[in-house]
Amino acid sequence: MSAESKNRGPERTRRSFLKTTTALAGAGLVGLPGAARANKRHPKRGGTLRFGTRDDTVGLDTHRNIIYFVSHPLAAITGGLVDFDDKMEPKPAVAESWEASPDLRTWTFRLRRGAEFHNGQTIDAESVKWNIERIKDPKIGHAFTRSVLSDVERVTVDDKHTVRFHLKEPHAALDINLIYYPVNLMAPGAVDQADTHPVNCGPFKFKSWRRLDVTEMVRFENFWETDAEGNSLPYLDALTGRPKKEDRVRLTALRAGELDLIDNVAYADAPAFKKDHGKTFDTWPVPQVGTAMLFFNLKKGLLADKDNPDAHLLRQAIAHAVDHEGIHQAVFNGLGAISKGFYSSASSWYSDGIESWPAFDLDKAKALRKKAKGGDEKFTIIANDTFPYMQQSGEIVHAMLKDAGFNAVLEILPTPVMNDKIAKGEFNIDSTANSFRLDPDGWFARNVLSTAPENRRRIGYANEKADQLIHAARKERDRAKRRQMYADVETLVNRDLPMLYTHYVPLMMAGSHARVKGYAPSFTGPFSYSGGGMRRTWIEG
Amino acid sequence: MLAYILRRIAQLVPVVLVLTVAVFGFVELLPGSIVDTLIGTEGGDDAETRAVLAKEYGLDRPVYERYAIWLGRALQFDFGHSLVTRRPISTELLSRIPATVYLAAVGIVLSMLIAIPLGTFAAVRRNTSVDYTAQVTSLVGISIPEFWFAILCVLLFSLYLGWLPSSGYVSPLDDFWGSLKFLILPAAAIGFRQAAFTTRLTRSSMLDELSKEYVDTARAMGLPERRVIFRYTLRNAMIPTVTISGLQLANLLGGTVVLESIFAWPGIGRAIFEAILQRDYPLIQAGILVLGVIVVIMNLLVDLTYRFLNPRVKLA
Repeated sequence: MSAESKNRGPERTRRSFLKTTTALAGAGLVGLPGAARANKRHPKRGGTLRFGTRDDTVGLDTHRNIIYFVSHPLAAITGGLVDFDDKMEPKPAVAESWEASPDLRTWTFRLRRGAEFHNGQTIDAESVKWNIERIKDPKIGHAFTRSVLSDVERVTVDDKHTVRFHLKEPHAALDINLIYYPVNLMAPGAVDQADTHPVNCGPFKFKSWRRLDVTEMVRFENFWETDAEGNSLPYLDALTGRPKKEDRVRLTALRAGELDLIDNVAYADAPAFKKDHGKTFDTWPVPQVGTAMLFFNLKKGLLADKDNPDAHLLRQAIAHAVDHEGIHQAVFNGLGAISKGFYSSASSWYSDGIESWPAFDLDKAKALRKKAKGGDEKFTIIANDTFPYMQQSGEIVHAMLKDAGFNAVLEILPTPVMNDKIAKGEFNIDSTANSFRLDPDGWFARNVLSTAPENRRRIGYANEKADQLIHAARKERDRAKRRQMYADVETLVNRDLPMLYTHYVPLMMAGSHARVKGYAPSFTGPFSYSGGGMRRTWIEG
Repeated sequence: MLAYILRRIAQLVPVVLVLTVAVFGFVELLPGSIVDTLIGTEGGDDAETRAVLAKEYGLDRPVYERYAIWLGRALQFDFGHSLVTRRPISTELLSRIPATVYLAAVGIVLSMLIAIPLGTFAAVRRNTSVDYTAQVTSLVGISIPEFWFAILCVLLFSLYLGWLPSSGYVSPLDDFWGSLKFLILPAAAIGFRQAAFTTRLTRSSMLDELSKEYVDTARAMGLPERRVIFRYTLRNAMIPTVTISGLQLANLLGGTVVLESIFAWPGIGRAIFEAILQRDYPLIQAGILVLGVIVVIMNLLVDLTYRFLNPRVKLA
């Protein structure tokens, strides 16, 4: 594929529009998304899929809570203006087409006629406007979701099927931000039951939920998508989410035949499971947009340039002390890959033109530590206890820094305590990870841009050149140019070391070979993507 | 008897009040807040958002004011709504308590069914193979961590033999026989461990009672040995066993978090544990308060059982 053909933004969406309109004329023949209310069902495909997940949502209101693609069964009820395919390219969903104004400050979305919420209410422009306004309300919308829409100044309705987003600043990737994660649409008429019985527009309808026990969902019979033969999707009759937090409990339940599909096979179990049970169970390495890293506290303390003239030297010493291959083997069991930037080679935003971080060199680490002011002082590594790899990375980095002579202590903390420490700046290194920044702006404008609230809260990094590149990339239509700009920012990051990328976060799924048919995961996780995931899965036997 | 019960119930009032202060106070001392949980680690954090959320959840008010409001509502059995799920606390608790009570009660009954006969026979046949077997078994039960025993049970009975499901829960009200399949393994894991303690206790209590004069007198009167043991001695020896089993039951109601995780059992212990991680104050406070009240009531019931076991025990 040529660089030009990969370009996103308004030019690509106009082509998408033309493709879509052509496709609509013969949807049944070519198999692209067809008209809503396509009630013809595939005669042989159905069943109830029992899906074991590591996590569960904390609440049902899909605006108040982040519903993760991976590990939150409730994700199957969500849908939005824009969908994406298995390559993470944006595709029409509730919006059939869209285009940006030449100055990238106004985006116009044309809605699919006949698309419905689960209660039969039509998804029209007013309901989209209501959703965006509700998400932007700080009393309601989740902080992350609101940050996705932070550039949206107001939403106006042109007609019943046309909605217009007016932005404060030009933005080349608004469409990607409107993908159902996290901007999913709920029925305005059912807002009173958002916390008890949510009504959304995804491929499955909510039936019941008992937190950390079971989420029951049934097929949405009027979901807008069809397969190549014109059968309405999803195929499954029902989907049952069974959160089981412990990885081995989930795996045991799969092996015992109590589940059909599980996420997050433990890294330690994955190779042996595939080898020993590969004939009975399918396993899938899921392409990920997740990256583990160490954040350095540049706001205050030993690693902050304003408090310590040798802070950069110390950060270099730390980078030289970290053996990435050791993390790759010890934490990730050889799965996935070492990261030098945020986007892995599986992503179209990957760039091999990034200058790497300082390579592992224990002697150099020791020499720099001795040379730098504060090299003998105590400093604190924190890690969140929610995800095993974060704390395991913290543990191994702690051991590596001890080897280099650093006086480091490690604290494994629950999220509220960790956030409290971060807010007070009571840490030096944070072993963490980030995922699902669907467009690079979602990563760089939050975590690298000097004015971003998240960067100011957590890291405190400021680089004028990086800021210029991030601002320029947001206004750039050409995808290849944008990729290069972000690669240049990554090089600055690896030189300045406000953070040290460590590893791409792999995810292994497993399912019953005999029962689960048609399933393949993608970047978006297990549940839902245009033409795949749970939408095209069925159960046999 | 009735006067005693009423007096004991009256004594519960200050106990429960102190409990409310302790519950509310300890939760306040937890580092971090619900605002941190709601903001999460995904970004978008700023002072304005924090202020809005703090006001929305009433966290901008002084602690004594929040305590007074909470206590007033709690006295009317209105614990408010979960800050996280936004559903009524009563709904959250009521969906969890039956599962926990079901598991804990069956686990304790199972432990007593194992421990009382085993401990009794071990004492009666002291220094015989029966006694040694009982002692070794109870020592093993005490030594093996509960979670490890649970995992072994899952591997054997679920994975290799395929007799029982490895995890999950079905309400006995929905399907009684179906629920037993899910109950057996976690209840056995609890029962085995608790039985180990109770067996040793029953044995030592029985030995103590068997050495008393009234046993010699009964035997000298020519009473059958079975009657001496089961009618007189065991009944007296049961008082410490009942005390400990009552406390074990109270402890299990909130203390089976690890087993609930292994068996994906939707109990109240796990719900409170998750609530603590998320700083869901109303749910933590209500959950601990309810468990505290249950412990207090269990103590009362244990005391009343003494009277049943030995009418000479004075309840005053």
